Amino acid sequence: MKRVDAVWSIARKELSDRLRNQWIWTVSLLVLAATLAIAFLGAAPVGVVGAHGGGAILASIMNLAVYLVPLLALVMGAGAIIDEKRRGLLDLILAYPISSSEYFLGTFLGYALALAIALVASFVPTGVVLSMTTGINVFQYSLLLVLILGLGTSFLALSFLISILSRDPARGIASSVLVWIFAVLVFDLGLVGLLVGFGGQIPAPAFGAMMLLNPTDVFRLIAFTWVGSASSPLGLATVSPPFPAVVLVSAMTAWAIVPLWLSHRLFQKRLALDRLI
Amino acid sequence: MIRFDRATKTFGSLEALAPLDLEIKDSEWLGVFGRNGSGKTTLLRMLVGLSQPSGGQLLIDGKPPGPEDWREFRRSLGFMPERVALFDNLTGEKTLRYFARLKQVDLGEVMPILERVGLADAAHRKTSDYSKGMRQRLNLAQALLGDPKFLVLDEPIEGLDAHGVRDFFELLKSVKGRTVVFSSHRLPLISRIVDRICILSQGKIKALGTEDELYEQVNLPVRVVIHPADSASTRLAAAVDKLDSASLVSQNGRLVVSVAQKDKLRFLSDLQALSSEMHDIRIEEPSLEEVLLETG
Repeated sequence: MKRVDAVWSIARKELSDRLRNQWIWTVSLLVLAATLAIAFLGAAPVGVVGAHGGGAILASIMNLAVYLVPLLALVMGAGAIIDEKRRGLLDLILAYPISSSEYFLGTFLGYALALAIALVASFVPTGVVLSMTTGINVFQYSLLLVLILGLGTSFLALSFLISILSRDPARGIASSVLVWIFAVLVFDLGLVGLLVGFGGQIPAPAFGAMMLLNPTDVFRLIAFTWVGSASSPLGLATVSPPFPAVVLVSAMTAWAIVPLWLSHRLFQKRLALDRLI
Repeated sequence: MIRFDRATKTFGSLEALAPLDLEIKDSEWLGVFGRNGSGKTTLLRMLVGLSQPSGGQLLIDGKPPGPEDWREFRRSLGFMPERVALFDNLTGEKTLRYFARLKQVDLGEVMPILERVGLADAAHRKTSDYSKGMRQRLNLAQALLGDPKFLVLDEPIEGLDAHGVRDFFELLKSVKGRTVVFSSHRLPLISRIVDRICILSQGKIKALGTEDELYEQVNLPVRVVIHPADSASTRLAAAVDKLDSASLVSQNGRLVVSVAQKDKLRFLSDLQALSSEMHDIRIEEPSLEEVLLETG
């Protein structure tokens, strides 16, 4: 069997399973409702109510994405692979002419595609509405969507690592929520604390480097750099020095690849030791 | 041909399989028996490449398989794991189509196999609506995809009632000529259909061979149950006394004599002289369950 066929067979099954999951569609609908609400109310802070003020609206959508996209991705992948192992399906599938790496890759691909579809369904309709009503820059919104997909992929990769580390879907969900709280809330508060503690004397490159340690901040930095017109409400991103695009993109890519690579290694190791769960 | 050559499996300090030598010949049906935790599933997982030996080696057609050899081997392998929960959200047909794609089997094979296992009428029902027996048959159906040369069935009759077991065995008749390895703790049932029996206990092979060879290896005594006339007991005791290996107990007015297999004919010959003093006699060979208990 061609390797790519094996990977695609697994991916297709996972994609179909995830898309059958009503929870994903419920969250997607909520995100869509929230983005549409922002489309009409997002410029309220600058005194304009209605679908006007594209830059502020983009910034609000970005902030919404920072909170909800990681949560959606983390919860979606919380039981990945481990759940199949618990149901005995993993042993059955791996007794077919398919390698464990192909299975792993196919599973991640299926989850990633499902997440991408859910995110497109959540953010694209709002983009269409905004482009028709506010004359928002379609290129900027498309760029934002790509960044949102990158953010989701990073947290999905993290969720695979959490799932394999935790060995249990329930523990996986609990750990995912903790990671979400840390990444979205605690990390930035910690940075603010550091900044205050050092009387604002932290060198800008060091502060910027610290921001690269959190994928949500990497997302904010890229948004700050590339979707610039909406920069004002982007919090810490506005006090970080501008990074070259290649550094930011590499950081975002690393946040997807490194956790995925680690989870693959851990999966292979535990599989060989018969200690996946 | 598959051979375990001093293969071991350890999990930390726990030795799940002690050095194990076992050869599975082409077209042979081998039953692997043992209590829970005896190492059956570990042995079967090694057999399909899900677990690698900690020591020794597994040889397929005389050589240790590499990743590509495993891939090739699994094309001709059907595996039915223990307690697998197939996809609840899919129909029987879609479940098989998924596995057919993984094995690169023609999708046209799916419906004929479902017919073969008696699930054609339920092909479009979700597997969550299937009974235990239907799930087992669907599980067997996925193992039969691609007409495998080698079948590994882990506890295939677990949880099935007598009718279910009979139906399952009927289905298996269609794979005669293939190599089949079963595991089960229901030895008397499976022993009817396998060529050889391997009894595992605490990760070691305690007995291996045909049913007759197993009786010889374990050599449990035969029981002779006698319903005596009033005066028979004393004379019977005298007959038993002549044999070193026999023992006599009285149970509810019957006399139960345990006699070693080697002395069986001699004892029965002696007993013939007392036939007028007995109402009835029954000879009980040890059951396979007793063999299993003895070895385990």
